[in-house]
Amino acid sequence: MSKKASVTVLGSPEEVQRRWQEEGLRPQYIESHDAAVTFRRAPGDRGTEVHVDLEQTAPGGKAGEMLMKLTAKEPLAKVKDDLRRFKAQFETGVIPRSEGSPEGELAERKLKQRPAQPLKQDELEKAGV
Amino acid sequence: MRATVWSGRNSVSVVDVPDPTILNDRDAIVRITSTAICGSDLHLYDGYVPKMKRGDILGHEFMGEVVEKGKGVGNLEVGDRVVVPFPIACGDCWACKHELYSVCENSNPNSGMAEKMFGHATAGIFGYSHLTGGYAGGQAEYARVPFADVGPIKVDEDLSDEQLLFLSDIFPTGWFGADLCDIEGGETIAVFGAGPVGQFAIASAILMGAERVIAIDQYEYRLQMAVNKAGATDVVDFSVDADIVEQLKELTGGRGPDAVIDAVGMEAAHGHGAVHAMDRVKQANRLESDRGHALRDAILACRPGGIVSVIGVYGGLLDKFPSGAFMNKGLQLRAGQAHVQKYLKPLYEHIRNGDIDPSFVVTHRLGLDQASNAYETFKHKQDECVKVVLKP
Repeated sequence: MSKKASVTVLGSPEEVQRRWQEEGLRPQYIESHDAAVTFRRAPGDRGTEVHVDLEQTAPGGKAGEMLMKLTAKEPLAKVKDDLRRFKAQFETGVIPRSEGSPEGELAERKLKQRPAQPLKQDELEKAGV
Repeated sequence: MRATVWSGRNSVSVVDVPDPTILNDRDAIVRITSTAICGSDLHLYDGYVPKMKRGDILGHEFMGEVVEKGKGVGNLEVGDRVVVPFPIACGDCWACKHELYSVCENSNPNSGMAEKMFGHATAGIFGYSHLTGGYAGGQAEYARVPFADVGPIKVDEDLSDEQLLFLSDIFPTGWFGADLCDIEGGETIAVFGAGPVGQFAIASAILMGAERVIAIDQYEYRLQMAVNKAGATDVVDFSVDADIVEQLKELTGGRGPDAVIDAVGMEAAHGHGAVHAMDRVKQANRLESDRGHALRDAILACRPGGIVSVIGVYGGLLDKFPSGAFMNKGLQLRAGQAHVQKYLKPLYEHIRNGDIDPSFVVTHRLGLDQASNAYETFKHKQDECVKVVLKP
């Protein structure tokens, strides 16, 4: 199973690298797992590719990996969440939120969507809005 | 507030839900004055689009008044009258910068889900399954509009809701379908489906300078509208003769249309013989999501070297794609959800100038609480239904 994930962000490599370290934008999961991150200038006007190589194996080996996948908590999915959030915040200034996924891109939400209707007050607080 | 929610296959209900609130600085809340049911809502209603959830608020065609806005929305004021485009687009990513708004890279917070289905995520869409973000829709009293600084267009008070509402989707979608055909003047364009999108594809092709536009449908009242209102020059009624390809060849001296627009999508009604029977069985058992007679016939009918433009919605996989005809005839296949934001201003100008009055498609006007009846009437084409407008 691939342990690599990448995203292309619309900005120069210098700017993308700088903001990668910025408070509020710094990808939590990737940084806490000390994964190898490389920044490459993308061809043409496409911006910067951010590549993450997650060296560590999933806890519990094969069976563990299966379980992790079913609960959508496997590390690679978390890495992808981080990359998507970083890209969105870098490019748009906000974390895009829907009523189905009020926290923004979140692996755990893939299997547990809210109905697409407005949130109640307690749900708003829980989602960190 | 009151809102139309999906409550399982072939069922919607109007229920009380919480009022929407601002979730982001770039959000606005719109009090909806008019909203419509789209043909593509029927794909959700019928259960052909995956990742629907009971309680999802439907609707992606709506307009109204801004009642609240986040601090990042500098271009709108509370009280502004706006039409909201159905794709949600950030305006900042590479796709948006290249006016490819319906494939915005940031507006779908369920991109992980979408990547599994399509390889890549596409833009968020209001009320259009969790695959396109899980956004609450606009068949309701209020809606939250994300990236409100990019999408909504401010409109003047002297034009009616019904003249403007279709800027949200079907007019730009029809226009986009025609735009993909590279019309320069003098072409013959065939349009599969004389539903609301097909009507606007026909009208747009005429406005762009096509010389002949052939409307294809099985309902006479829709073909009449295509000729009398949208400007179609010819019709093919496949309830009379099911061999559409031969009829199109006959109408074009054997050449075939220069471009063919598929404004039908995944629930094509025509088709015959063994392939049709296989489609029905596979689709009934959910082995095939998309019933593709319109697309297959479009490819077979199109003249060699021509363009097939797909604006009818497909959701998954299609069997029996005529790859031989497609490749050997050297066709171009173009498609997409319309990049509505790109077309809003020019199409608003066309309405302002009186080049087109989009309200011609409206056949039914109902209160929001009548949504359940409205879906049934629209789905079964009862009472010569073409387009339903709901008033919250």
